[in-house]
Amino acid sequence: MAKAYTPGLKVSSRTTHLAHRILPIAGEVKASLGDVVDADTIVAETFMDGDITPLNVANLIAAQPGDLPELMLKKEGERVEKDEPIARSKGMFGMFKSECKSPASGILEAISKATGQIMIRGESIPVQVKAYLPGRVVEVLPEEGVVIENEVALIQGIFGVGGETSGPLVMGCSSHEQGLDAEAINESMAGQIVVGGARMTAAAIRKAQQVGVAAIVSGGIDDSDLKAILGYDLGVAITGSERIGLTLIVTEGFGEISMARRTFDLLSSNAGRSASVNGATQIRAGVMRPEILIPLSSEAMDADSSQSSTDSGVLAIGTPIRVIRDPYFGSIGTVSALPEAPQVLGSGSKSRVLDVSLESGEVVTVPRANVELIEA
Amino acid sequence: MRTSSIQTILLTTALCALAGGQVVLGSSKARASFAPPAPPTDLVANDLPWDGGGTVQIDWAASATPADQLKGYEILAHELEVTPRDAAIETDEAADRAAAEETQSLLEGEGIAPEDARRQAALSTPEFVSPPEDVSEWSSLGIVPATQTDYQATGLNKAGVYLFKIRAIGLEGDFSAATASSGEIRPVAAFFNGRKLPLLITLILIASAVFVFIVLARRGMPMRIRKIAGLAAVDEAVGRATEMGRSILYINGIQDMDDLQTVAGVTVLGRVAKTAAEYDAKIEVPTSRSLVMTAAREAVQSSYFSAGRPDAYNPDLIYYVTDEQFGFVAYISGMMTREKPAACFYMGSFFAESLILAETGNSVGAIQIAGTANPSQLPFFVAACDYTLIGEEFFAASAYLSGQPDQLGSLKGQDVGKILVGIVIIIGVTLATLQAITGSDSLEAAVNYLVNVILGS
Amino acid sequence: MNDTPKINTDAINVILATDCGSTTTKAIMIEKVDGVYRQTWRGEAPTTVEEPFANVTVGVLNALTEIQEVSGRRLIDDAGEIIRPATATEGCDIYISTSSAGGGLQMMVAGVVREMTAASAKRAALGAGAIVMDTIAANDKRRPHEQIQRIRELRPDMVLVSGGTDGGDTKKVTEISEMIAPAKPRPRFGKSYELPIIFAGNDKARPEIERVFSDDGFDLKITDNLRPSLEQENLGPARDMIHDVFLEHVMAHAPGYDTLMSITDAPIMPTPGAVGDILQTIAKGRGINAVGVDIGGATTDVFSVFDGTFNRTVSANLGMSYSISNVCAEATMPTILRWVHLDMDEHELRNRVKNKMIRPTTIPQTMEALVFEQAVAREALRLAYIQHKAFATTLKGVQQQRTVGDTFTQESGGETIVDNMKLDLLVASGGVLSHAPRMHQTAMLLIDAFEPEGITELAKDSIFMMPHLGVLASVHPQAAMEVFERDCLVYLGTCVAAKGTGKEGKNCFSWSLDGGARGSGEIAFGQIEMIELGPEETAEIELRPARGFDVGAGPGKPVTKTIRGGTVGVILDGRGRALALPEERAECRAAVTRTIEAVGLYPDLEGSAV
Repeated sequence: MAKAYTPGLKVSSRTTHLAHRILPIAGEVKASLGDVVDADTIVAETFMDGDITPLNVANLIAAQPGDLPELMLKKEGERVEKDEPIARSKGMFGMFKSECKSPASGILEAISKATGQIMIRGESIPVQVKAYLPGRVVEVLPEEGVVIENEVALIQGIFGVGGETSGPLVMGCSSHEQGLDAEAINESMAGQIVVGGARMTAAAIRKAQQVGVAAIVSGGIDDSDLKAILGYDLGVAITGSERIGLTLIVTEGFGEISMARRTFDLLSSNAGRSASVNGATQIRAGVMRPEILIPLSSEAMDADSSQSSTDSGVLAIGTPIRVIRDPYFGSIGTVSALPEAPQVLGSGSKSRVLDVSLESGEVVTVPRANVELIEA
Repeated sequence: MRTSSIQTILLTTALCALAGGQVVLGSSKARASFAPPAPPTDLVANDLPWDGGGTVQIDWAASATPADQLKGYEILAHELEVTPRDAAIETDEAADRAAAEETQSLLEGEGIAPEDARRQAALSTPEFVSPPEDVSEWSSLGIVPATQTDYQATGLNKAGVYLFKIRAIGLEGDFSAATASSGEIRPVAAFFNGRKLPLLITLILIASAVFVFIVLARRGMPMRIRKIAGLAAVDEAVGRATEMGRSILYINGIQDMDDLQTVAGVTVLGRVAKTAAEYDAKIEVPTSRSLVMTAAREAVQSSYFSAGRPDAYNPDLIYYVTDEQFGFVAYISGMMTREKPAACFYMGSFFAESLILAETGNSVGAIQIAGTANPSQLPFFVAACDYTLIGEEFFAASAYLSGQPDQLGSLKGQDVGKILVGIVIIIGVTLATLQAITGSDSLEAAVNYLVNVILGS
Repeated sequence: MNDTPKINTDAINVILATDCGSTTTKAIMIEKVDGVYRQTWRGEAPTTVEEPFANVTVGVLNALTEIQEVSGRRLIDDAGEIIRPATATEGCDIYISTSSAGGGLQMMVAGVVREMTAASAKRAALGAGAIVMDTIAANDKRRPHEQIQRIRELRPDMVLVSGGTDGGDTKKVTEISEMIAPAKPRPRFGKSYELPIIFAGNDKARPEIERVFSDDGFDLKITDNLRPSLEQENLGPARDMIHDVFLEHVMAHAPGYDTLMSITDAPIMPTPGAVGDILQTIAKGRGINAVGVDIGGATTDVFSVFDGTFNRTVSANLGMSYSISNVCAEATMPTILRWVHLDMDEHELRNRVKNKMIRPTTIPQTMEALVFEQAVAREALRLAYIQHKAFATTLKGVQQQRTVGDTFTQESGGETIVDNMKLDLLVASGGVLSHAPRMHQTAMLLIDAFEPEGITELAKDSIFMMPHLGVLASVHPQAAMEVFERDCLVYLGTCVAAKGTGKEGKNCFSWSLDGGARGSGEIAFGQIEMIELGPEETAEIELRPARGFDVGAGPGKPVTKTIRGGTVGVILDGRGRALALPEERAECRAAVTRTIEAVGLYPDLEGSAV
């Protein structure tokens, strides 16, 4: 295999980020090339076909489906209002006519002679796409959407729940090893993105929900806390559409685990800046990780720029890595040896391994599949 | 279902009758000899308390002659005859008695039979013909061993008045003088027949089981009911009709709403109609009684409502045909051959038409589900239909479908009764078999107790 | 049906086959060696459907190049084309391929009654190798507007509509079509794609269906009814039509597939469809009943052939990496932990499971992690097999013929046709089964999850070659069979298990191999024993079950049969069927420990085992 290790998550203090803002179906693009947009600017808009209400009118007025077109008071394509009569039976000697009223407002889209069924198409549903990332429109995709570019500090999380939101970053913890408890959340954090250190507790999340925090970013979360917040046990890591009132992003994984120091430092150096976050995670082919984008104002361009790396790094002696599987889950270290030949693991399987010297000084051997690069 | 406890008793009686044999005491005629034994003394006869009538308890003191020199005691009885006063109350004694005995068990629970009422009216001012002097004209109830000093005279006329005497029989077959006659005894029925105590206990057990389960069901305890294949197949039958674009035919039996089976059939109809509403299949219900039509319309309409498709309900498909049994059948058979329904349901009380309907349905290729409690029609349905709800299953299905805690609870409670009956059958059969093999007296006594006392009368 | 090119099967000496998976393209080479076909070389390369290549043939050529390098046989000429036909030193005679790249074939099916035509439609779609996203039926307990909502959310590659027997219902099937048409399901491939609708329902409803789907944006194909009568299922035409549409529409929209289609000698098949085909070919060829399972990261596929009837199910959210958390949620932790004989902290395991979910590529490093992962696999397989059994049934809605003798045994339609007693061959594939460090573990995973009864052969697919052989079977069945037997399958051995339950320690069955020459003995209830019997060996086994136990001939009846050995050997399983582990944790753990020690599952752990 070309990839014997998992490419790490991006943590970059400055990179050029392109946000593709695309409508689900064709529509109208509201922004034009070169526009500078805000996170809340609507860049594209369309109307989705309205909901359809089917109704078997022939049954309701006790008529044969074949006779229905004659009995309809409205024709295909006409507009109908709720409770407006739409069909009337012939009745007996002109009496005992029965009438059918429309159950919904909309356009009468179809009348079926075969089944006696009609379709009423409700009002179109507006679909709006916001800019999400403040920046400049660098490309307009006609009828589809736009591409927005900006210089950002980018942090990818490993897992998140909840969708897109934005707000100023605020530090909830003073150290990357400190857990985020309920005490750390206060009223002033409403609408802000709270950065924690290690594990975020269920109590902290509940408090944040009450206060109206926009998002929480922290190192880890406990499975049972997540279950308590979501109300169900998450089966597959396809998230983004949860309705829990805020967005949660963990940068490292599940359990008691501290945020990588680099990530924490980057976040704390940007405290107070406005950021856009998205918790949507999709771990399938075409993986999608949650992200934290901190747009950098032009004056922030300093020496530390152009430190981006989009290429996957290469495993070499000295490369900083993180172990991502028990028994050394979460440990950070550097590669100290890269034996070529596969070795037999404790589990009995054969695999290519590497030696890691951990921050504690200990040197351990782990399968290459169980480490990820800490990308610069 | 309501008849089940009676059925239970009858069934058990039948089975245990096979098991135990009645013991018949033989009697022998004796010759006279010169030194007659001394007569027994202190004869006391009393109506047996806590009985169903017809039994008298007789006690006496042993004869002065030692028991080893006696063959036994003979018990003599005489029923006093009423002086004929009125032709209207003169009835055939023997026939009456037979009739009384025959219907005794049934009548006891419900009060006094008409004949007895007449007789009692007559007895309220009795005037008797005096008993014959000669004891040989008295009827002998039997001879008991000399060691015995008491006897229960059974099988007497409940309405009669009796006198008793005892005499000892010597080894040579010679008789002692008879004792003095006892007082006039009427072996009347008591307020409660003690011999029926086991029946009372059984009744209480089953009734309280029904009661307890109803209470539990009302409190929301889930009642598990065995999967009934015929009921599970409703979806399949309705589905078949939907896929084939044909109708569902539902026949609710040919009896009126006062028949329990028709009521159960309407409940099942509700379920079938609901499924039909969900699948949007056409269900046709021809009835042979106008009242059934009304009930069926109600049931089907509410099913369509609860399935959320009130628009699809068409009352014209539920109609009255004729009260005439064969007129109705002729109509249905004709309709079946013309319209070829894909699913036929026969749920209710059926008679001679069962096979005509089921065979016609089979020949047009319908899935057929029948349910009836008429045992004579079950074989026809089983052979010609895809699924059949047999007897109680039909009622159980109705109870299950209605989902009413009362119905479910009583269903469950009656199961307790059935278990009880099953246990008694197993015990009885085992005891009787063992008794037949070993010939043991104690087993015989146990069998007799079971037959005579527990299942007695 | 596709015109399968006429190929002179005798002249074929070298065959190349590829399977384009969503991440890896695997290629194999099959050569005629000493008159029989053998798989000789293989190679793999990352699949190249996505940027920057966006051309699947790049990955195919890379994989073939790898074979070229290792075999020393020149396969690709300077123009980048496969050399055909083969000469002594270069090229191949035929090249074939399967594909599941880009998420495979995703379909939505619709029918009138869920258990009848809709179930048949689902069977047709699954059998053709599709992923069925949803099944719409008149009685699926959803209100029409909910159904419409659902149709709008899905993005299927094609829709299969069935309903009504021939000459039967037209109204319902039209109604369902009328619902699908305005809902306008949006295909994944964008605006220009005309959504293919395959209609395989009532022939009398065709004019109505044509009217309903006359709008732009649909490409209606009509084929024979897949349920001409309720008593009969005719899936062939619908399945062929799905394959045709798959090639014409779905493949044609995937990057590079037009090129790939032009270079293959047989139509490209969806990977699972090909796996199903090879299993059917084998079952038919050997006259056996077989079950195949492929457990992946996200889904588990179960294939079965019983008495010639093929069924396939896809358990969408039962897998070992992306879906591992879902397996734990569905099976519940205590159920999984009953297979574990070690002390494990449930709370910590839950976090580990979630971490595996978000980092799916990691592998177990320690023995404890492996034991747990295999416990999860047992439950995933067990749940998938339960779903399969519920789906593989006799037809519903069939008229029954009865006699008075059936009074108390009224069996209904829709009973499962999966019968573990009749099962002859159980084939495993997929990472956790194929890559288990010890074959014994694979064998025990299969036995614990599938609970085979009687005498069952266990095998695993060595390098996931079944898809290639499935396509090969369509052009050269003999070659496919030969390679399947010789190279594809690794025989693990034979499982002998008695059906029934008894008292722990009481005799379950006694056995003797080759009349006692290779051993004999007695298996107590609850006991499991392993006898070595090499991969190329066979032996005659005589089984005498105790009263109440069944090893294939009925309760208490003896059985004599020739069995095949394997890398594991013969496993004599006296744990009873249905397999029940003690409820109580300590007892359960003791029972599992006994089994593990008897089979030598985790030899390195035995010292520390409780």
